[in-house]
Amino acid sequence: MVARFLSVFMLALIGFTGASAQSNVPILSGGAGFFSATQGGATFFQPVVAPVLAVPLGEKWLIESRADLRGFISRENGTTGPYQGRFFGTLEYLQLDYNANSHLTITAGRYLTPFGIFNERLSAIWINKFQDAPIISAIGTAAGYSDGFMLRGALISNRRYAVNYTAYFSTLSTITKFESERTTGGRVGVFVPGTRLEVGTSYQRKLQNQRMNSFGTDVSWAPYHLPLEIKGEWAHSLSGHGYWIQGAYRLSQLGGGNSAIARLEPVFRMQQFFRSQHIAGDSLPSTNMRRPEFGLNYYLPHEIRLNASYGRQFISHSTDVNVWEFGITYRFLFPLWPGESK
Amino acid sequence: MKHRIFLLVALICLCAVSVVAVAQTSTKRSPNNSKPTPTRTAPGSQTEGEKRFQANCGRCHNPPEDISPREARAVVRHMRVRAMLSAEDEKLILEFFAP
Repeated sequence: MVARFLSVFMLALIGFTGASAQSNVPILSGGAGFFSATQGGATFFQPVVAPVLAVPLGEKWLIESRADLRGFISRENGTTGPYQGRFFGTLEYLQLDYNANSHLTITAGRYLTPFGIFNERLSAIWINKFQDAPIISAIGTAAGYSDGFMLRGALISNRRYAVNYTAYFSTLSTITKFESERTTGGRVGVFVPGTRLEVGTSYQRKLQNQRMNSFGTDVSWAPYHLPLEIKGEWAHSLSGHGYWIQGAYRLSQLGGGNSAIARLEPVFRMQQFFRSQHIAGDSLPSTNMRRPEFGLNYYLPHEIRLNASYGRQFISHSTDVNVWEFGITYRFLFPLWPGESK
Repeated sequence: MKHRIFLLVALICLCAVSVVAVAQTSTKRSPNNSKPTPTRTAPGSQTEGEKRFQANCGRCHNPPEDISPREARAVVRHMRVRAMLSAEDEKLILEFFAP
């Protein structure tokens, strides 16, 4: 059923796009990667392809979509036995955007739940500095994806500061590959372009089963005079609360922009989660957890990135474990068909 | 333990290959063979579109190495929604990528 729907959708899309202006050339972008991780002695491998489709329609419309096609290869019994593989395909977003005016974009369809900054902005495999999502990323995001509509844009935007916002309503869906929860919420952020500092706050109200509120605060800072990025989030829900903070420093000031050393980026992330009460299916650790991590990213030409990281995971009432991760990602971008240059 | 050693050896090999690849690319690359490749420089001699790009897009991810003018409209429209850019930001960044 879903496959049929997607086929019809794609055909309609191609027809509509072909009839629109030639300059609106659709693009296929995204990333591909191969990751390996060893956690507590168990090693697993994940080949991933995450294509992004963006189809501009006229001056105001855009259809965009991202999928995550992932294999999971691990030993049968965790640390022993033959390797076996499973495949997972996730439609992360498939949305229609209408730029109503300079301050408002109306979105309908399946979208990334806008809570904090990680889920919407940093979760793409070619952007995320580490392989995995922060522990608290499940707070306020309802599994990461929502089906419904959303209003978003820049309420105020000038040279000194910008105030951006999102507000959404998501419906309950049990359709395979389109699962979502009935929620509502939003985020407001204040961004200062002169310093590239943004502070935001998020809210979500779950409107099904155990109704609960989630709150969050996020910060992002990338000064111009240093190749440094600092990002972090704090989030709270009935399940518990926690934070992550991450710093990345690209060594581009050493040896010139294209030297071997300038392509290296040490990264550090500290994260902690404090469990308040057990709530079934909240995708959070069952007890308190903290995890400092150190990583090295290496940016090769042609959009290839290598990454390696080590973390120590401390879990209450359980054995602490080492987490080793290695990976390679490739980012691609190309037009789906020829068009005018402008 | 064997897996960890294997992963370590694999990483060292990858790093060695990377360094060789970087060295070869650095020697082959001519200075004028690329499209606008925004760098993290302080505002000053940049165009307004480049400034807006640096301020809004460059703080979350590295810019793609190469964006052709015919890809630019879709890329920038996508970024307008993702980064909640204003219409003016979209116009200026598009002019930067597809002058």
